[in-house]
Amino acid sequence: MLKTIIAKEFLNNILNLRFMIGLVFCLIITVACTIILSHDYRQELADYSHRVNLQDEFLSNYATRGLMFRMIPHQKPPERFRPLIIGISGNEDSKSFDDNPLPILFPPLDFLFIVTIIMSLLAILFSYDAITGERQSGTLRLVIANSIPRTKILFGKLVGGAASLLIPFIFSLLAGVLYINLNPNIQWDGSAWMELALLTAASITFITLFYLLGLMVSAFSRYSATSILSCLFLWVLLILVIPNVCPYISTQFYRIPSIKETERQDDENDSAYDEMERQRTREVLNRFRSNYGELFSKLESLGFGKILNDEIGDREKVEELAAADPQFRTMADAFRRALDQLRDEIRAMSREEKKKLWGDLDTKAAAQTSLAKNLACISPFANFVYVVRDLTGTGLRSVEYFDKAKAEYRRLFWLYVSKKEDDARRNNPTFSNDSFLDLGDYPRFEFKEESLRGKLGDVLPYWGILVLFNVVFFVAAFAGFMRYDVR
Amino acid sequence: MLMSIIRKEILSNLLSYKFSIITILSTILILVSIFVMYRDYCLAREYYEILQLPYAIPLTSEGKSEDTPVVIPPTPLGIFAKGLDDNLCRSYEREFGGGVSVSRNRQSVNNLFKLFTTPDLLYVIKVILSLCAMLFAFDIICGEKEAGTLRQSLSNDLKRPILIIAKWIGGFTSFILPFFIAVLLGTIFVTLSPMLDMNAQDWAKLGLFLLSSVIYLAVFFSLGLLISRLTHRPSTSLVFSLFVWAILVFLIPNLGNILARQLVRIPTVQQLELKREQIQIRRGLKVNRPQTTVHERMAAHERFNSEREMLGEDYRNRFNRLATISENITRISPAAAFTFLATGIMGTGMLEERKLKRAVLEYMDFAGNWDDRKGDRPAFRYQRSSFREALGPGGLGNCLILILFNVLFFTGAYVAFLRYDAR
Repeated sequence: MLKTIIAKEFLNNILNLRFMIGLVFCLIITVACTIILSHDYRQELADYSHRVNLQDEFLSNYATRGLMFRMIPHQKPPERFRPLIIGISGNEDSKSFDDNPLPILFPPLDFLFIVTIIMSLLAILFSYDAITGERQSGTLRLVIANSIPRTKILFGKLVGGAASLLIPFIFSLLAGVLYINLNPNIQWDGSAWMELALLTAASITFITLFYLLGLMVSAFSRYSATSILSCLFLWVLLILVIPNVCPYISTQFYRIPSIKETERQDDENDSAYDEMERQRTREVLNRFRSNYGELFSKLESLGFGKILNDEIGDREKVEELAAADPQFRTMADAFRRALDQLRDEIRAMSREEKKKLWGDLDTKAAAQTSLAKNLACISPFANFVYVVRDLTGTGLRSVEYFDKAKAEYRRLFWLYVSKKEDDARRNNPTFSNDSFLDLGDYPRFEFKEESLRGKLGDVLPYWGILVLFNVVFFVAAFAGFMRYDVR
Repeated sequence: MLMSIIRKEILSNLLSYKFSIITILSTILILVSIFVMYRDYCLAREYYEILQLPYAIPLTSEGKSEDTPVVIPPTPLGIFAKGLDDNLCRSYEREFGGGVSVSRNRQSVNNLFKLFTTPDLLYVIKVILSLCAMLFAFDIICGEKEAGTLRQSLSNDLKRPILIIAKWIGGFTSFILPFFIAVLLGTIFVTLSPMLDMNAQDWAKLGLFLLSSVIYLAVFFSLGLLISRLTHRPSTSLVFSLFVWAILVFLIPNLGNILARQLVRIPTVQQLELKREQIQIRRGLKVNRPQTTVHERMAAHERFNSEREMLGEDYRNRFNRLATISENITRISPAAAFTFLATGIMGTGMLEERKLKRAVLEYMDFAGNWDDRKGDRPAFRYQRSSFREALGPGGLGNCLILILFNVLFFTGAYVAFLRYDAR
């Protein structure tokens, strides 16, 4: 009997106008979206390669130790799921004078939009009259008059309805994925296909959730007109209101210092340490003047011992004098060591202070974000967004992951540069911050997406909440239908 | 007769479940939105106070000097339509070598803002109330046909044009009433708060924004009416209405931007910034060489400045073309036309963004050439677009598009109703 009910529900739905509209609509949007986003992906990939080449070329022509901190070559490639989902950008992009503000006015259209807006609406349209419609037409009364348990009817409606609803989704997704697979610019490996499978499973969880929501409301309503209005009311709250309001609420409950305040504080600290460095450099200078007198004046006359910058001194001349006079060499070496020591000490203190200041802001910002994230969990939309974005490497987690990869690369790159610098100094005693460094064999930055195992730990709790929503709505629909007056 | 039908329509709507649920939804949403955005405005004001403080600029000799950052205050109208206000209210500082550096966006510390949309009144009207308007209108004609009352009405001496006009007026009045009450309550709350300082021009802009909102909502109401006339059953009408709503509100505006990007090739911001950085480094290497003469340094500065300016200008020209094309494509959606119109009126839109950036660049040029012997450099002054500027060719065009949509949909519904089979 269950099979008969499922088949009847399934047939009933696919012969309905809403099924045809839904199918055509989903198919057109998904395919159009995938084609356009794949084209975008190709352009972004070309842009990324261009940036990498630009940096390569630049490093081979202009690499100097003093300006190396501005040349670290870590460019982010477009995410591999870019043909389906548009990723969020890091904070660097918001610091450009010429940023593109259009996405702020019109959030982008991608797979996430198709599932969260179109498929959830379609799910509600499929289920809002599953019970009320049959009651109004009188068929429910006839069915119940036979010896069919209500549990079977409800279960049959759920399975048949959800199966018919998933046809437009699966067909559209398959069409989109087929295009991606045939596109020579997009190369997905095994883990990407695995992620796609999980993405599909998460989407099905989300879509059935809204189907169950419609079924639940239908089980508590007498008329289809009332049911659809209540469903849309809940849909608006769950999809359009709660997730968008939560970040704003979190900023009210959990105040954090602004970035600018922190930047200002950082600047003040830097100035204080600069002043300290100047003060202590003066002390070193005075000490050397009194200890070495005329000999030190000779070094000063060559441009060394300037309080702000001693890199402008004539190193070749110093080397000449040092070679001729061992006492001069001893003094010059001692002077350099004294300056290096005091600068290292002060820079270590400054680094520590900086780390503490920005670490404090990061901790507070993370707490605020976490509060907003948890608050938004009462909406299935937010949970689904977290699952999909983290799974496909297009969300907050991927931004953090990229930042970590970048920091690790910076560390490796600096080690490499220091080694190169040491070699250069050994070979050429006149080597300075402005001298060219040959970085022909520098380690290239290759960003690898995080492994699926790493992502799953973060994704599963939110996926669990989606499943819980499904269970709650089904239990409520069941309770409502058990007591439903079919007359 | 017209008045009786309007009265009947209003009364039947007021007593319906649909009216109760839409009234509750719109009132809660509008009040929550205004409250949340008001609190956000207070935070933006606090941030502005911090940005305004002079910042230290290191000089080549020992010591430091102070400069005042270029920053504009957030507009109180951002409470209703925030648009690009967070971007506009960043601080701009002069970089060594003629560039402009921008402070990070106020909300960039909380990454969750990147995942969701701003729930301001503009969003509530554009997305949620437009849906409510369609829900109000989807069964106006086919619902009566299904119930059999349309047949009875038309069997009397009642002209079809009067019936449809009365239905439109009665239906739209009962829909728009709760909206006005909620906005009024929200505005009273905002007006009584001490942080807010709105002048006459701001009030006029708010009035115009509300007027354009009414025109926008009327578009969706008329469209709902048209769909109700073109279908014979409310369930079919509802399905069509929801899909058309999704296409007009979400699909076309988003797709328009993507399509525009296919038509105008524009490098990414990362590429632009990388090139700028490289110019700065090359400049540093050239001018810091001990053997470089003063004359050569001046020439290098000039050369690198012009290279940098050309790069920025080329990007901005391309971007402006992209924005114009995108605006023109997306305008075929009333939601996009309304977004451009509303953010233009409130001074938080693309027009304002372009105007501010132009003013900042001009000021930076002026500041770069300022001779300190003349005394203190005048501070940056900026006036957001006036009422007149907001309603310039672009704004008026968007307004006309909305009116045109209204006329088109209502005429369609009117003509179709004259030939409607009421049986």
